[in-house]
Amino acid sequence: MSTCSDCKFYLPVDVFKGICKLSRKDILPDDAFCNKAEKTAKCKFCSNYTPDKEFLGKCMSSTLAYPDMNAASCVDFKWISQN
Amino acid sequence: MSAVDKTPGDFMQCSSESINYYGNKPTEQVEDREKKLRPTERADKARDMYFWAKSSVSMEFPYWYTRRWEELDGEIPIIRRAESLKAGFEHLSPVIYPGELLSMGKAAYLRGSYPMPWLSEAFFMAAEDKLYKEALESGKLTADTFTTVGKGGGNVTASVGKVISIAGKFGLRLEEMPVMLEVAKKWKDRSVDDIGHKYEQMVPAYKEKEAIMRSVICMFDSGYTLPQGREVINYYYPLQYGIDGIIRMCEDGINEVAGYPEMDRLYFYQAVITMLQGIRSWIRNYAKEAGFLASLEKEGKQKTEYLEMAERLEHISSNPPRNFHDALQMLWIFHAAVLNEDAISGLSPGRVGQVLYPWWKRDMDRGLIDRAKTIELLECMRIKFTEIDCFASMGVVGGVLSGNTFNNLAVGGLNKDGTSAANDLEMLILETGISCETPQPTLSLLYDEKLPEEFLLKGIECTKAGAGYPAWVNNQVAMEFLLNNYGHEGMQMEEARAWAIGGCLESSPGSWMPLNLDGEIHWIPGGSAPATSVGVHFLSLPKILETVIFDGVDMRTGERIFPSHGYKLETYDELWQGFRDYFSRAVHVLTLTNNIQHDAWRKISPSLINSMLKPDCLEKGRDIGQMGSRFNTTFNVESCGNTTLVNSLASLKKNVYDEKNFGLDDYRKAILDNFGYHTAQETGSYSLVDQKPNENHSLYRKIHRQSLDAPKFGNDDPYVDAIFKQWEDWFCEMTHNYRSLYDQPMYACQISVSTHGPMGAVTMASTDGRLSGTTFSDGSVSAYPGTDKHGPYALFSSATCWNHSQSQNSQLNMKIHPSVVKGREGSRKFLELIRSYMRKGGFHVQFNIVDSRMLKQAQSDPDKFRSLLVRVAGFTQYWVELGKQIQDEVIARTEYEEL
Repeated sequence: MSTCSDCKFYLPVDVFKGICKLSRKDILPDDAFCNKAEKTAKCKFCSNYTPDKEFLGKCMSSTLAYPDMNAASCVDFKWISQN
Repeated sequence: MSAVDKTPGDFMQCSSESINYYGNKPTEQVEDREKKLRPTERADKARDMYFWAKSSVSMEFPYWYTRRWEELDGEIPIIRRAESLKAGFEHLSPVIYPGELLSMGKAAYLRGSYPMPWLSEAFFMAAEDKLYKEALESGKLTADTFTTVGKGGGNVTASVGKVISIAGKFGLRLEEMPVMLEVAKKWKDRSVDDIGHKYEQMVPAYKEKEAIMRSVICMFDSGYTLPQGREVINYYYPLQYGIDGIIRMCEDGINEVAGYPEMDRLYFYQAVITMLQGIRSWIRNYAKEAGFLASLEKEGKQKTEYLEMAERLEHISSNPPRNFHDALQMLWIFHAAVLNEDAISGLSPGRVGQVLYPWWKRDMDRGLIDRAKTIELLECMRIKFTEIDCFASMGVVGGVLSGNTFNNLAVGGLNKDGTSAANDLEMLILETGISCETPQPTLSLLYDEKLPEEFLLKGIECTKAGAGYPAWVNNQVAMEFLLNNYGHEGMQMEEARAWAIGGCLESSPGSWMPLNLDGEIHWIPGGSAPATSVGVHFLSLPKILETVIFDGVDMRTGERIFPSHGYKLETYDELWQGFRDYFSRAVHVLTLTNNIQHDAWRKISPSLINSMLKPDCLEKGRDIGQMGSRFNTTFNVESCGNTTLVNSLASLKKNVYDEKNFGLDDYRKAILDNFGYHTAQETGSYSLVDQKPNENHSLYRKIHRQSLDAPKFGNDDPYVDAIFKQWEDWFCEMTHNYRSLYDQPMYACQISVSTHGPMGAVTMASTDGRLSGTTFSDGSVSAYPGTDKHGPYALFSSATCWNHSQSQNSQLNMKIHPSVVKGREGSRKFLELIRSYMRKGGFHVQFNIVDSRMLKQAQSDPDKFRSLLVRVAGFTQYWVELGKQIQDEVIARTEYEEL
């Protein structure tokens, strides 16, 4: 299930909390998606990413990667088709 | 009260609240500081957000840095480094907070930072990890064990839920923990720490070095912990040429040097280009984010500000600044960029008010900016600098830095032509230091007799406000020091005037750079040397004396540190010789091992961003590790616990050698039994006056009393001042006998920062009557708390019993009750006090203007005092973010009730 930290409107303040860029309200990274949420590019949403162990995986089957990394500026990022 | 119930505070005639007063104890209610100005609404909100935020680390930058590093295996190291930095910058997520006028930061959190495993990876591994255990064994982490970190404020002191606490300060999301460990392991045997360690073991006396580190005679290694900093940055090149202009300079350089001898220049120029491409992408990612945020806003002020921010960032991603706001934003970007290339403390912005004055004056003359807008921007700058965090081990971040990052902004001093350099923008910088009290940037006023009275009184107004800044430093003494130590590299008087404070209190060389604005040349100052305070980091003088008394053994652990000195210690001269022998041994081995660490650093992880900024690296085509800077004599030897050492020597001289009241064996026994007191760890307080006697106290009552009564430094007493001078003259001279990595003579540096806390914690009772585990004297010429009984002018006489220009610095910390300097009359009196110290040749003095009873209240009820700032030793910090060792020491400092 996606959470606020997966949303492109999530502005992290610290490891505990953030701000919603739309509502300006304080939110938590683990809060559930609201109806305005939109996924942000993260490795776990990329077709090049393969999960491996907990919180670890591979990028293009070879390079160490981790699911929650922001991939907005990654040139190889490709949304998984269902997203 | 029976003698056995008496505390040291009773002997020292301390108050019932365990506060040391000079003059009458205040009887009125706890008094707040006098001057209160409010920040602008924008800065107030930003500061509230800062208070709300916790120190947080993320893995984006280290992940991409490491990934690119691995991809380029076999590439020329400096190119590999540049490509890795570029990858890190390109992938940093932009975060812009509502209301910001200046944007960008180190990492994707408000107080963001990240591990740099290419420097060192062991300290943030799990405690059960083999790497961590190896680091502990070699003594690298011993200081961590005895450091207390502040329990409040923005520190993440314990793991909770999905957040892991690292080094007692930083929070990391659980989902990023596995990748942090995986990335860290990739640097095993490849980091600066590991490579340096491999080769430092080849130094013949290496085993002695490990023992020194385990005993915490030395606080920490130099080359992989904080390899840069304690220096003044130079913003000239980006301000004058812009990023594209510097790239063009490098392309020209490549055309000149490609294929010719000294080929390293080719790689340096190419590396700078690559690195700047990364920074350009970083800025443009922020510009894009600002545009995105604008798209979410309805028409209005916030939307306009986002759009302006996007346009500004896009412009300065390539070009020089057009106005004051652009220039300030660019200054901040390059400051943050340098902080992202290494673990750095003490990267000082220097004389910002003089650097930015040409743009500001032009904007003012054209009516493009006014005083109110300037204040708002300067307050935003204060918030940005305060957001800086430095990810380092607990011993470094807590035991040395107290969570501070030492970005020291200097005002005053002299121009290139020797006239006063103070200007109207600096008046506003002081003003915003009052209205927007924050730890960063801390301020230093470069005091010179040529500075106008109005400017000095503004400095007094700011000091009185109570945030602990500006510190007052002596311009002429610093220039004399710099000319003495950099003259052989070509420094002359005119260039000496461009100096500023790097870090908390390190005199650092500068140069005048010709800024061309609309065809007019403005000579702006900036740093022109790499890191100072690299070399030998903090030697515990009282601990070394302890080993002399016990013939080379650390009696806390029973480990032999030094070989037997072979002296019977039957005379004071023998004791002094024994001290000099051990001190010299420590400096010798630590100089060699740290030179090796720094050599590993410059080979594996050379500075590129800071190098590009420093004159004359671009001109020479060399980075700072290859002596590209104009000045390179920056390695030093740092001391800690000066006054505790000197008071201890004075007590031994008087009680053992001159009056023969006791034998040295009596002292050995008393030290081992802590004069019949519980240890500081047992009492839970690190202040001498709070210590509690145990059942053996009566056995040591006499020797303890006479030790406390022995002459104490800070009272204009020739007996002890002569010992102080003997120490200073010898120390400052002996450091020149050691050579840095760059084959330059080293020099003395005398600041305690926070090291007097943890170093005191591992030191047994000392012969001046100080008890085991309690904190040493602070600074370098401060009196031990409660022992300066004859007022400030007697303290000044003692402090200036030696020539301060022999050393990179000296440090005097004083605490004054707010009522003493109240009103206009109080300001005048205060300025005269400072002026008298400067005229006596004192280098530095800084003040806490605070009622100590308020500090006691804050200690027991920290939540009510979240914003309370205090001055420690070269830095200002939020009270709640200080460890207890330092809190207790600041409370114990003598509070002056009259001047």
